[in-house]
Amino acid sequence: MGLARETYYIYLRDLKTWLAQPAAVVSTVLSSAFVFLFFGSPLKSVVTLPGFPADDYQAYLTGMVIVMTVVFSGADAAMAMLTDILSGYFDKLLLAPINRFSVLLGSLLTAGTRALIQVVIIVLMATALGVSFKGGVIGALVVIVAAAIFGIAWACLGLAIALKTKSAQVTQSSWLLFMPLAFLTTGFMPKELLTGWFKVAVTINPVDYVMSGIRAIIIQGWAWGAILPGLWALVATTVSMTAIATWLYRRATA
Amino acid sequence: MSDGQMVIVEKLVKVYPGGTRAVSGVDFTVSQGEFFAFLGPNGAGKSTTMKVLSTLLRKTSGRVVVASHDVDRDPRAVRRSIGFAMQEVGLDDLVTGWDLLVLQGILYGQSRREARRRAEELLDLVGLTPVAGRKVGTYSGGMRRRLDLVAALVHRPPLLFLDEPTTGLDPQTRLTIWEYLTQLNKQGVTVFLTTQMMEEADRLCQRIAIIDQGQIVAQGSPRSLKAEVGGDVVHVTLASQGREDGRSSAEEAERLATGRSYVAAVERTGTSLTVRVKDGSAAVPDLLRVLHESGVAVTNLSVASPTLDDVFLKYTGRKIRVEEAKGDEVAATLRPWLGLRRR
Repeated sequence: MGLARETYYIYLRDLKTWLAQPAAVVSTVLSSAFVFLFFGSPLKSVVTLPGFPADDYQAYLTGMVIVMTVVFSGADAAMAMLTDILSGYFDKLLLAPINRFSVLLGSLLTAGTRALIQVVIIVLMATALGVSFKGGVIGALVVIVAAAIFGIAWACLGLAIALKTKSAQVTQSSWLLFMPLAFLTTGFMPKELLTGWFKVAVTINPVDYVMSGIRAIIIQGWAWGAILPGLWALVATTVSMTAIATWLYRRATA
Repeated sequence: MSDGQMVIVEKLVKVYPGGTRAVSGVDFTVSQGEFFAFLGPNGAGKSTTMKVLSTLLRKTSGRVVVASHDVDRDPRAVRRSIGFAMQEVGLDDLVTGWDLLVLQGILYGQSRREARRRAEELLDLVGLTPVAGRKVGTYSGGMRRRLDLVAALVHRPPLLFLDEPTTGLDPQTRLTIWEYLTQLNKQGVTVFLTTQMMEEADRLCQRIAIIDQGQIVAQGSPRSLKAEVGGDVVHVTLASQGREDGRSSAEEAERLATGRSYVAAVERTGTSLTVRVKDGSAAVPDLLRVLHESGVAVTNLSVASPTLDDVFLKYTGRKIRVEEAKGDEVAATLRPWLGLRRR
C-alpha cells in the first residue's frame, strides 16, 4: 500500500478525532471573535494617529487575528499527537506495516485543514464586520492558503515539542512559546509607531513578516514591497520547521 | 518458516538511553505453533524484550529474527507477520470501535470491503457488536482489552505477542480471554505472552521462560520446571497464641520441622510454614506427631505438588508478587494498632 493511501486514511482519522471534540472547534473560533470585539472597538481611534497605514482598524486587525489563530493552532496539533502518544495509539500506528511517515504527514495535513477552516471563518467574520479586502477575492484566497501553510509550519513546532518531551504539562504550556511569536508583531500597531526593545523583537520575528504580507493584501492590495518579504519568511519558516519535525520524528520512531 | 522457529533471540541486550540495562543477554526460541510465556515480576525485562521483537524499540546488541525476518533489516516484514497487544491498551478514545478496527484493517493492506467484513467478524467474536458504534472512550476496562486484542488480529497474524493480556481484568473476562487464546493457538497461531501470573503461564503454555532482572533463569515446560524443584510442599498453619516461653508457636514449629531428617527446607511467613519434603504423604504423620508432642496447635495442613511459584522462588530466591508481600508487611505492622487479630 502506498504512502498516499496510508496518509489519506490517517488524515481522515485525525480529522474525525478533531471534529469529535466540538469544544475545541468552537473555542478557536470564539477566541478570534473576541480579538475583534475586545480590541477592534476600543482601539478604533488609533487610525487617526499620524503615520497609521489604514483608515479602518478592523481591517488592520484582521491580519493579526488570522496569524495569531494559525500560530496558536500549533499547540492544538501538539496536544493531538501527545494524546495519541500517551494513549498508546501512536505505538499501534507504528506497529502497522506502513510507511511511518504517513503518521506525520496525516497530522500535518490535519493541522493545515484546521487552519484553513479557521481562517475561512475569520475572513467571513471580518467581511461581516465591514472589512473589504483590497486584494479582492483572489487576495482573500491567497491569504487563506498562505495562512494554512503557516499553520502547518507551527504545527511542526508543536509536534516537535510533543515528540521531544512526551509530557502533557510541557505540551500544554507550549502556547507560552507561541504567545510572544504572535504578539511581538505589528499586529496592533505599525512598526513606525513602535519603539525600543519591542521594535527590535518585531524586526527579528519571522511571524511579523508573514503577518505584514497578509495585512498588506487586506488593507493595501498587491503591495509587493510587503508581500515578498512575507512570502520569503513563510517559505523559510515552513521549510525549517518541517525539517526539525521530520528529524525529531525520525529519531522518535527509528 | 523453514526451520520451524518463529522467534530466534540470541544474546539480546537492551540498555535504555538513561543507562538502565533492561535486558542483559537473553537467548530463547519460540517454535511454530507453540504457546510460550515469559514469566517474571515487574521490571524483569518482559515488556522491553517484546517491544524489541515487535520493532517498537531498537536493541542495543544481539540477534533477533521474527517470522524469518531480521528486525533491523526488514522491520516492515516483521510487522506484517505479527499481532501485538500491549500491556497498556493503545486505543483512540475519540473514534468508535468499528472505525478503529476498519482503519486497522486498511493499514494492514486490506481493501475497505475486506476491512469491514473482518471488523464485523472480530467484533462479533468478542461480543462487542452491540457497542460497535459507540466511542471507545465509553467502553469498560474489559471491553477495551477485548477490542485491543482483536485489533491485533485483523490481519490474521501467524504470530501473536501479548504483553500481560489479562492484568487488571476480572476473573470472568480473564477466563474468556484464556479460552479464546487457547482456540487461536489450536488454529495454528504461535502465541508468545508475558505474565506475572503463575496460573496463567501454567494453564496456557507449553513452555515457559522465567525471567528476572533482565536474564532468563530457567526454561522448560511447566511440568519439567516443577519437577526440578523436586518433592512436595507441606503447608502448615498454626494457632496464633504465643507459648509460655514467649516464642510464637510458628517459631517453635519452624525449629522442630528443621530438625527432621526428611525435611529439605522450611520457610515461615507469619503463622504459616512452607515445608519442602521429598514425599509429602510419608512426612505428614511424623510432622504432626512432633508438633503435637511439643504442644504446638495446628489449625490447617495441606500437601501440594510444587507450583510455578515454588519454581520462581527456587530460581530467584524471591516470591513473584513483590508488591503484595510489601502490602502484607504493612498490614502486619498496622494490625496491633488497629486491634485486629491475625487470621
